[in-house]
Amino acid sequence: MSTVETPVAANNDGPPLSPLRRAATFATNQQFILFLVLVGVMLFFDLHNSRFFGTSEFTNLLVDFSEAVLIAAAEMYVITSGGIDLSVGSTIAVSTVVGAYAIQYLEGHHFGEFPSLLLGTFVCAGVGAVVGTINALLITKARLVPFVATLVTLSMGEGLALVFSKGGTVGYDPAAAVWSSTGFWIFRWLTLMVLAVTVVLGVVLHVSRYGRYNFAIGSNPFAARAAGINVNRHVASVYVLSGILSGLTGMIWYFNSSGGAPQNGIGNELEAIAAVVIGGVSLVGGVGRFSGIILGVAILTVVHDGLVFINVATTWNEVVVAGFIALAAILQSLSAGTKRRA
Amino acid sequence: MSDEREPILELRNINKSYGSVKALTDVSFKAYAGEVIGLVGDNGAGKSSLIKTISGVHSPDSGELIVDGVARHWKSPHDSMAAGIETLYQDSGLAPDLTIGSNIFLGRELEKKGVLGKLGFLDQRSMERKALEELEKVGITVPLSKRTVSQLSGGQRQAVAIGRAAMWAQHVIILDEPTNHLGARQSLEVLKVISAARDQGLCVLFISHTLPHVLEVTDRIIVLRLGRVVKDAPTSDFTVETLLGTITGLNT
Repeated sequence: MSTVETPVAANNDGPPLSPLRRAATFATNQQFILFLVLVGVMLFFDLHNSRFFGTSEFTNLLVDFSEAVLIAAAEMYVITSGGIDLSVGSTIAVSTVVGAYAIQYLEGHHFGEFPSLLLGTFVCAGVGAVVGTINALLITKARLVPFVATLVTLSMGEGLALVFSKGGTVGYDPAAAVWSSTGFWIFRWLTLMVLAVTVVLGVVLHVSRYGRYNFAIGSNPFAARAAGINVNRHVASVYVLSGILSGLTGMIWYFNSSGGAPQNGIGNELEAIAAVVIGGVSLVGGVGRFSGIILGVAILTVVHDGLVFINVATTWNEVVVAGFIALAAILQSLSAGTKRRA
Repeated sequence: MSDEREPILELRNINKSYGSVKALTDVSFKAYAGEVIGLVGDNGAGKSSLIKTISGVHSPDSGELIVDGVARHWKSPHDSMAAGIETLYQDSGLAPDLTIGSNIFLGRELEKKGVLGKLGFLDQRSMERKALEELEKVGITVPLSKRTVSQLSGGQRQAVAIGRAAMWAQHVIILDEPTNHLGARQSLEVLKVISAARDQGLCVLFISHTLPHVLEVTDRIIVLRLGRVVKDAPTSDFTVETLLGTITGLNT
């Protein structure tokens, strides 16, 4: 043994992996299993109703996917940095309502349809940024734990959405409805924009300095600080980003439901967290692949829409989702077990 | 240690108090490139205060800190890092979920060339490759730098952490209890890395309670008691018994 020259190699993890072991590692790869699950679920629905693989159903699937994917991505950024954001759902509600008022006002003051919708989008993102900033201040300045800080903004957002909207849907916007239903093939323009933003978020998380710092802070904030990373500033920026993505999702809801309803997005933080868990992201931070949450959102969307499609009462949806979360969590703890034994 | 040589690090009459508690009293010593200095003392002797002063976590109340011939006044740990001093604290260490290469370059990432680099894209391949090269220089051979730190043993982790400090330090590395919680064999790996860092021309300040390790790896030992330097002598002057006696004050 070359202990003297190579002290670290000396007590390494033993002999190289056998081909069988390697195959087993690949087969238990969570991303691979998730992909099989997604394909399996789709085939299952198609067997029960052969129109499942049709353009109109896929268009709807992608619309629903686009309503869920940005807040799941936001949740992934926050959770991998070692936090949690419970306020994404209620931020959708409050931004969709405020955005709807803004568009109503602008269109009433002879702005064109398109400029009004564009400015409304900025208003939604701005509302999200404000909520994100409140989260950031509560966490980095008032030193609240993220769970409590975002629980505060969760309640605040839910309440304000009802107060602002007086409980009803704000605005009815035929222009938005028309615009949001155009596109080509199975894609609507809005869906394509959301997909483009999603790709950017995935790339930034995995190949940029910002993403690297995100994982480093979630893995060991002390090491990150000792390495010269401004941990507080990064953490604050993650919550603001999460707020902005939630605000933009509020705009997507506005387009898809042609108005700002205060119940839009309420409770969706749990779906986002479910997608993150199913996607194999560690809830204690530092670990996860963006492709995992994409598969997680896809599976949840397909299950949700598919149950409707095969005429199963939507009330069963949560039960089926619970099964998927349990399955994913068990897989994760099993693979963590193999890692420890290796 | 001949006095002809220019010390790389010199402390002159450093004093530090926390309120009414005097942590350091007139601490003075010189440290040279290419030597390992053991910094020992009982709990409360002032070891932590001293390394925090040298690494810029806090400022001394009075006294001079001279690095590479220049008097320094640190405003933050960044200043000491920029001047070539790397500190490895007990609990800061590495980010276990990142790869070895990512940890080595944490906070100092290499970016891709051209436009992509300006957009913040990282050159992961170069980082992994250079990390391997640099670690080999201090005698650490890691089979795959793509492995995450959590997959390494405790000794390997600490060796990589010290390798990281040695790679970035120009002058001094400060190691706070680097062999704590390690088994005998793993400690040996860490001590070898420390020797390799010295052979690279670095000055190593080694803080430890494990006296056999101090005696094995250091060239000189500075003993602190109640915030004062009570002994500064070559390691060959000590045995475990006399060193322990000096630390506790039973013999001086």
